[in-house]
Amino acid sequence: MNYPVWELYYLNSGTLVAVVAVLHVFISHFAVGGGFFLYLTDLKSVKERNPELKEYVQRHIWFFLLITMVFGGVSGVGIWFSIALSSPWATSVLIHQFVFVWAIEWVFFIVEIVALLIYHYKFDSLSDRKRLNIAAIYAISAWLSLFIINGIITFMLTPGEWLQTNSLWDAFFNPTFLPALVFRTGICFMFAGLFGFVTAVFSKEEILRNRLLKYCAKWLYIPLPFLLISGFWYFYSVPENIRVTNFLLNKQTANAINLFIFSSVLLYLIAIIFVIRSSRKIQKVGVFILLFLGFSWIGAFEYMREYARKPFIIHGYMYSTSVMKSDEERLNREGFLKYAKWSKIKEVKEENLIEAGRELFNLQCLSCHTIRGVKNDIVEKTKGLTYLGMISHLYGQGKVLDYMPRFIGTEKEMEALAAFIIKGLHGKDIEVDYSSSFTPKEEPIEFPTFNAMTDEYVLLAWSTLGEKCITDSDKWFSFLYPGSSFEAVLIKRGIKPEVITNSVEILYEVQKGFENPSKNTEFWKYAEQLLSKKLEANKGLSAKGLKGTLDFNKEKNLFSAEGIPVLPYRDDGQFSPYPVFEAKAIDKSSGKILQFTKLIAPVSTELRCFVCHEGKPKWNNITGISDETAMNILKVHDRNTGTKLYKNALKGRPVMCQSCHEDFIVKSKGIKGHNSFSASMHGWHANYLPYKDERACNLCHPNDTKGNTRCNRDIHAKLGMGCTQCHGKLDDHAASLLLSQEGTRTAKILLKNLNPENPISKISPRKPWINQPDCLGCHEGFQKPDKNAKSFNKWTTEAKMLYRNRKDNTDKLPCIACHGSPHATYPSFNDYSKNRDNIQPIQYQGVPLPIGAEGRCDICHKVKMKDSIHHANMLRDFRNKKTLQE
Amino acid sequence: MKTPSLLPYPENITAPVEILIFLEQLFFLIHILLINSILGISIILLYKWGNTEDFFLINKLLSKKIPIFFALAINMAIPAFLFIQVVFGHLLYSSSILMGKYWIFVIPLLIIAYYSSYFHNKKFDKSPYARYALALVVLIVFYIAFMIVNNLTMMEMPERWSEYFTKRDGTVLPLNERSVYPRFLHFISASVAVGGILYSLYFKFTSSLEDKIKEGLKIFTYATTIQIIVGFWFLLSLPKETMFKFMGDDLLATTVMFLGITFTLLSVVLALKGKLIGTTILLLLTMVTMLINRYNLRIFRLQDSFSVYELKLLPQWDVFIIFLLILLIGLGILLYMFKVAFSKNKEVLK
Repeated sequence: MNYPVWELYYLNSGTLVAVVAVLHVFISHFAVGGGFFLYLTDLKSVKERNPELKEYVQRHIWFFLLITMVFGGVSGVGIWFSIALSSPWATSVLIHQFVFVWAIEWVFFIVEIVALLIYHYKFDSLSDRKRLNIAAIYAISAWLSLFIINGIITFMLTPGEWLQTNSLWDAFFNPTFLPALVFRTGICFMFAGLFGFVTAVFSKEEILRNRLLKYCAKWLYIPLPFLLISGFWYFYSVPENIRVTNFLLNKQTANAINLFIFSSVLLYLIAIIFVIRSSRKIQKVGVFILLFLGFSWIGAFEYMREYARKPFIIHGYMYSTSVMKSDEERLNREGFLKYAKWSKIKEVKEENLIEAGRELFNLQCLSCHTIRGVKNDIVEKTKGLTYLGMISHLYGQGKVLDYMPRFIGTEKEMEALAAFIIKGLHGKDIEVDYSSSFTPKEEPIEFPTFNAMTDEYVLLAWSTLGEKCITDSDKWFSFLYPGSSFEAVLIKRGIKPEVITNSVEILYEVQKGFENPSKNTEFWKYAEQLLSKKLEANKGLSAKGLKGTLDFNKEKNLFSAEGIPVLPYRDDGQFSPYPVFEAKAIDKSSGKILQFTKLIAPVSTELRCFVCHEGKPKWNNITGISDETAMNILKVHDRNTGTKLYKNALKGRPVMCQSCHEDFIVKSKGIKGHNSFSASMHGWHANYLPYKDERACNLCHPNDTKGNTRCNRDIHAKLGMGCTQCHGKLDDHAASLLLSQEGTRTAKILLKNLNPENPISKISPRKPWINQPDCLGCHEGFQKPDKNAKSFNKWTTEAKMLYRNRKDNTDKLPCIACHGSPHATYPSFNDYSKNRDNIQPIQYQGVPLPIGAEGRCDICHKVKMKDSIHHANMLRDFRNKKTLQE
Repeated sequence: MKTPSLLPYPENITAPVEILIFLEQLFFLIHILLINSILGISIILLYKWGNTEDFFLINKLLSKKIPIFFALAINMAIPAFLFIQVVFGHLLYSSSILMGKYWIFVIPLLIIAYYSSYFHNKKFDKSPYARYALALVVLIVFYIAFMIVNNLTMMEMPERWSEYFTKRDGTVLPLNERSVYPRFLHFISASVAVGGILYSLYFKFTSSLEDKIKEGLKIFTYATTIQIIVGFWFLLSLPKETMFKFMGDDLLATTVMFLGITFTLLSVVLALKGKLIGTTILLLLTMVTMLINRYNLRIFRLQDSFSVYELKLLPQWDVFIIFLLILLIGLGILLYMFKVAFSKNKEVLK
């Protein structure tokens, strides 16, 4: 931001540096090792009085001079040129901080050059002793050059104490100085052998050639143990956080690691042809293969070293975007462009949004990214993102995947950069209104009847979840497959009512138009891949269909059925997230219907991933994850974690997310070390989404008040409560889940940049689907909650304490039986038709209040009761009756 | 301050600015002498290519010097480039980026020129391509010199940097700046003049061929005469305010300029009289004064934007002393090596 940016969009200046640098280091290590090679080989020729070997040395010097002095020397200056064009500020820091160190390096360089020239031009005229002296001077001064450069290069990765002391000595003799020096010295010797092959293989005389090749092979093999030991020493001298960031999180480094390992193994294997007898042809081809492998080896190593520094160019001091770390806070607060010397635009306005974005792109992205160019093409990388997706990416950039620098600047500047990428580069609309505006089609229900005088039974049936969500992107992935769960209790009315468990049968049946969900989804096509079980069409995981019987659940002492594969799609194309089921209790022996009722199966596919991950709603343009969105999601997952989910899905092998990520609700244990599904999803997205309130929840959960499901529809919602009062704001919610992950490495990474309202130390960990907000956290003692009551951090202690599993004081009636499903507790206000969720209260009481509210004990007891037998404070008037009148 | 907002913040310096400037100028002097020699000799060889029977025979060794001079010239450019960056780096980086596309080509072209000089030397009397290789060397040095002139001109004119906002792809060259062309030609004619002297010196110390020595001095005389004209053109091409600094407005600058012109005229006189050593000494003195002129010009042109005394000093005396010690040791080793290389070898070769 202090300097102009060379606007090279196709081949960014960083790539240019990389090309020049790799070519240079390949030669420069040879230049150092080659010095010792020449000296020792020349010495050997003198000691052995071997004129042929001496002739080889002379030949090698000429080759050496042409390669190292011409190409090596000038390409070294080339690095200097290119880094000054690419990162002028960092170059300036290095030049100024190390000016006399560079000057010392130059002294070694001039000695090196003169020594080499004399060694070459005076080879024949000098005595052996003097010639060897010159060779030794070359070798030592070349190695001293390495000594100096090594201090500066390692400083950039591990500036160590310098950050505090600003002392040159701390900078130079930094934590990785010594291991890197030993390692690079090893490389030099290895490369000396490698290049030695080149001149050796062209020796015409066979015996000499084979001797020379074997001799050069020694130079390759002898440094190997030193390379291995110092390599590990070097690697572990790098602070752990840097290693995690750049060798675990940054998947781009993986390619370099693989290349490094691959070329190491091949290099040493192929070099065997010079140890064993082989034909000259093979030897010649082998030499050039080895040179190529050596080049890729050093390229991979330098790539890893460069990437290890990310997101900095001087670690902990200056970001790779040439922004000083110490300026970050001020620039975020006051604006980046305001202080960017070479930005034409100083303040983002509506009319200059794209242009300002371009300035920001140049200043904060171009050092690593190109535009439709050779490397890190920003257009390719941001392909599957919408404007909000882009903003979210920028918001989260550098937090989890902290090898990228964070975006620096104000919110407005972030929007400008996102606008430049999405509109300016992709040509997409940035003014798309992603807010929901769905108009539910009201479908009145015919309520079942109840005759308090004659009916002997009360049948209460419910869906265990207030909203069963389904991913419906089974061709690509699934984390929620079709399968709703119902439960029911049959109560024989009387002063002392009886819960009937024997000799009755509870039947259920879906309303018309929902009987064949397989017509509307590909789930059954991919079920075997996803669930490792072949399923009959229209049947769920427990073989239940859309019509069937509830089984008696001995453990819970009620009737239940799991895995009823109901979908929110009606055959006529109507989106209907609250289909109605009929439930009948039948006397098994007589076949007589004891009671009849209806219940809702709340089910939705409203996951609005497309808002960020692009695409459109899948089903009739209303809801669901489209192929485009799903593919984008898989690609992002693959890119960030190194999986191959997208390719597998293309081959017909979609993934069940919980096969890796443990999830209680789908009874999956996942893979050890992976975070639970919920912790992963919330933890990851909390780092990226710029919203922290309900807007964030509504992007993934079907809860938008103008959306097509509107699942949070009960009395709490009516009274103005949103998700966050119980679950916490996004960062708090994510933190509570991540804290339960027993300190996995990824949980720590996801947690470290969250900014919850509650201090992390005060957030109680919770396991998803087990530790949920406890109703009694607010309704202490079943009383009216305090005005400021919040249920966050007051989790149920175990699964059986969940609202949907908990029972009353008699241990016979589940809370949910009388109060309704979670998020749809009575009275519930469903936009798909009034009282849609309140069928049973209306059936039995005529009012949508909890069963037995307002003293209606007679529903079951036939008479009015005096004691609060089911729970405290139950015999009273309903507090919020006025909500019923609205 | 006309364009303060575009001037990057400079870094602190670690030694008094005078030391840094002295070091820059010293190494630049050696560098430019070597570069002038390469170009001058190359032009002379090209001009005279094959026009006498003994051309290849007598010039073979001279052609050998070109790649060696390349090695040394590049080496000497390093400290000059280093120290200019310490003092003027924030300006130089900016101007380099403005012309990045042209600037970066300096490196691959230099490599080609360097290899060409070796090719030329090895095939001097064996291949007709040797001549083309040498021509390539000359053309590339022209390119590099022209780019350096452009870069330094742009560096000294921050008021023109806003052109960046219309062309950000590294193609901004100050081609409409009048002084660029005489400045470039000033380098070319100087090179031929230095080449002429080197030509004479070479023949004086290798074969004592009198006509060749005279020929070199003649070349020097012609080139310097042109150089004087180009020099005045260069002076006149400068903005008036700057030009007048060298013509009385700044006493020191005027004195140095006057001295420079005097040394030049005297060197021509001595050359015409065939006094090679005297001419050489005067040439060196001229170069020193011209170097100071060059520095003065930079300071005058930057006076509205930047002063070297703005740089904050945070000295690193310990490293500076170590540098001086290592430099001394280095010089000692160089001396030893020269002694080994060029003394008559009395040892019996084993």
